[in-house]
Amino acid sequence: MTSYLAAMAVFAGLYALMALGLNLIWGLAGMVNLGLVGFYAIGAYTTALLCVRFGWSPVAGIATAAVVSGATGSVVAVITARLKGDYLAIVTLGFAEVVRLVASNEIWLTNGTSGISGVPGLPRAWFSPEQVNLLYAGIVWVAVGLVALLLGRLSAAPFGRVLRAIREDEMVAAVAGKRVLRFKVQTFVVGAAVLGLAGGLYAHYVGYVAPDAFQPLITIYVVLALTAGGTGTMRGAILGAVLVVALTEGTRFLGAALPDLPPVRIAALREGVIGVALILVLSFRPQGLLPETIKPERA
Amino acid sequence: MTPSIPRRAALLGGLAVPFLANATHAQAETIRIGTLTPQTGAGGAYGPPMVKAMRAVVDEVNAAGGVLGRKIELISEDDETNPDAGVRAARKLIDVNRVVAVLGTWASAVTTAVAPLCWENKVMLFTVSGGDGITRLPHQGYIIRTQPDSNLQSDRAVAFMLGQGARKVAYLSAQTPFAVSIYERHLQDLKAGGGQAVGNVIYDASKTSFRSEVDQVLKLQPDSLFLNSYQPDLLVLLRDLFRAGYDGRRYTLGYAANDKLIAALPAEVTEGLVSYAPSPDLDSPAFKQVQTVIGANPDPYSCQTFDHISMTLLAIAKAGTASGPAIHDAVRAIGNPAGTPVTSVTEGLKLLAAGKEINYSGASGPCKFTPIGDITGCKFRFDVVQKGQSKLLQLS
Repeated sequence: MTSYLAAMAVFAGLYALMALGLNLIWGLAGMVNLGLVGFYAIGAYTTALLCVRFGWSPVAGIATAAVVSGATGSVVAVITARLKGDYLAIVTLGFAEVVRLVASNEIWLTNGTSGISGVPGLPRAWFSPEQVNLLYAGIVWVAVGLVALLLGRLSAAPFGRVLRAIREDEMVAAVAGKRVLRFKVQTFVVGAAVLGLAGGLYAHYVGYVAPDAFQPLITIYVVLALTAGGTGTMRGAILGAVLVVALTEGTRFLGAALPDLPPVRIAALREGVIGVALILVLSFRPQGLLPETIKPERA
Repeated sequence: MTPSIPRRAALLGGLAVPFLANATHAQAETIRIGTLTPQTGAGGAYGPPMVKAMRAVVDEVNAAGGVLGRKIELISEDDETNPDAGVRAARKLIDVNRVVAVLGTWASAVTTAVAPLCWENKVMLFTVSGGDGITRLPHQGYIIRTQPDSNLQSDRAVAFMLGQGARKVAYLSAQTPFAVSIYERHLQDLKAGGGQAVGNVIYDASKTSFRSEVDQVLKLQPDSLFLNSYQPDLLVLLRDLFRAGYDGRRYTLGYAANDKLIAALPAEVTEGLVSYAPSPDLDSPAFKQVQTVIGANPDPYSCQTFDHISMTLLAIAKAGTASGPAIHDAVRAIGNPAGTPVTSVTEGLKLLAAGKEINYSGASGPCKFTPIGDITGCKFRFDVVQKGQSKLLQLS
């Protein structure tokens, strides 16, 4: 039981990290990035390849994952510089699919759809499976805390104020003398690095990466987490991620309460319950559970 | 950060507790076995009958008094055809439900992601995934796979082609992860059998015409063609081959040459097309039992999961204890060639209770495995299309 709750805490933490990364790009700067699973995948593959093929240490692998993902973010940001709203959403969604297709087909690099197994995690010989899960949950949540703290500082700083200005009206920000493109690229890089960090942590936790693990569904979960939690705030992103994992996993226990239903009905019921719960949150709290509050400037 | 987050998180965790307490209640008496199949996602069509087949065996055994005097409890989870969700579902089965075995993983990526959890926690994993890498994982014997890997499939296909007189075989392969590996295995097998593979033309399956690929492959003057295709591209390919006047042998895979394909093409285009597929043991009483549960044409995966649960229960009875390591140690002993041949679980349980040796073979065939957990022999069916109808040519 403890291992299970710890494992769910790990997944909640990974989703929270992704929600934080998305919050910076979308919540603060208003760029609809639906390609987050692509950056997550790049992070996971980077560290998996470095550690499995070249024997790097996981710490160096995860750090490099964040750097590579951030660098990819800068390229994507420059390419999509002129796109806004729905158009940006479509292109970034396409980016994530491209990453997944490259991972499926460039067999020499990624081992294709068979994936890369044996990614080193915590030394299993030293700890019991329960301790491994608890420790990893600790590591992931320390990462969440640090990232939330740093992004919170960034958001409160003049930098964050500019991002909010760009989100509300790019033209006004530009007229005020802000170099909009530069801010956008910087935001994309930082956000993508956080997504890559999440991917790196995922790879070392599960020990296996394959294209199937990076389906668009994860992007949808994270967007939902952020929307339900409240866009624009770090606390909202984290709460939303915990809520989504609690909902998707908590509903597994429906099966024990309804033992007479065949599993396919329980699966359908689960999807229904998750959907209804999120609709309820969004219809009664459209601003999210912990919405952004912007204090008026002192006169 | 403000302290409100941990408090809310704790609240959510707390809400889950009553459910969890419920789930671990009956642990003392029952033997708990988990199923992890795709109920939703890309494999969603396959999971429900797989669970149905397993449920039927459990009901039958429970009605006959269970195993070692204990009832069997089957806990079914949905892997959503997604390794991520599969890992979380497997964690629940292993950590919360404390199952002794996980049965039925379907997608190779799910199996590979879930496998380490199983072997670390000494839980047996039975799978129907075909990915070649799975049994090469460092699983210490905790994986049993009832689906033949692509090498075994290639070996059987080549033996059949050679038997039909094929000597110069050329290949047309859709661009998939298997396009090259299957060709290389065939190349090696054909050489060993006195034939030769003369070339492999890899094509993009989304094209609407394969005229240039067909010309390219016919230049090699093969006496037989092997079409490593999926159904939509095979349809176009067969038409282009017919137009090009090719009248040699054509071999393809069972899932590509399905009824839909045969119905969509004129009879003279499909005439003589041979396809092969791993097959359940159609004459076995166990297969007939699966038919009564699933319907007249059960898919191979349902037959295999029927055998997963049967082997698990027999191994528990043979070992005398219900645990992952016990199943791990006993799963090969229930296929003792010197024992009484058995196809039904209840019959096998009776014999084991009487202290006899058994030789179990199930709906998918004889359940014998290599040291790394691959099935050693499996039936294959070869079908030929005649006058727009598929006919069974050989089952071996």
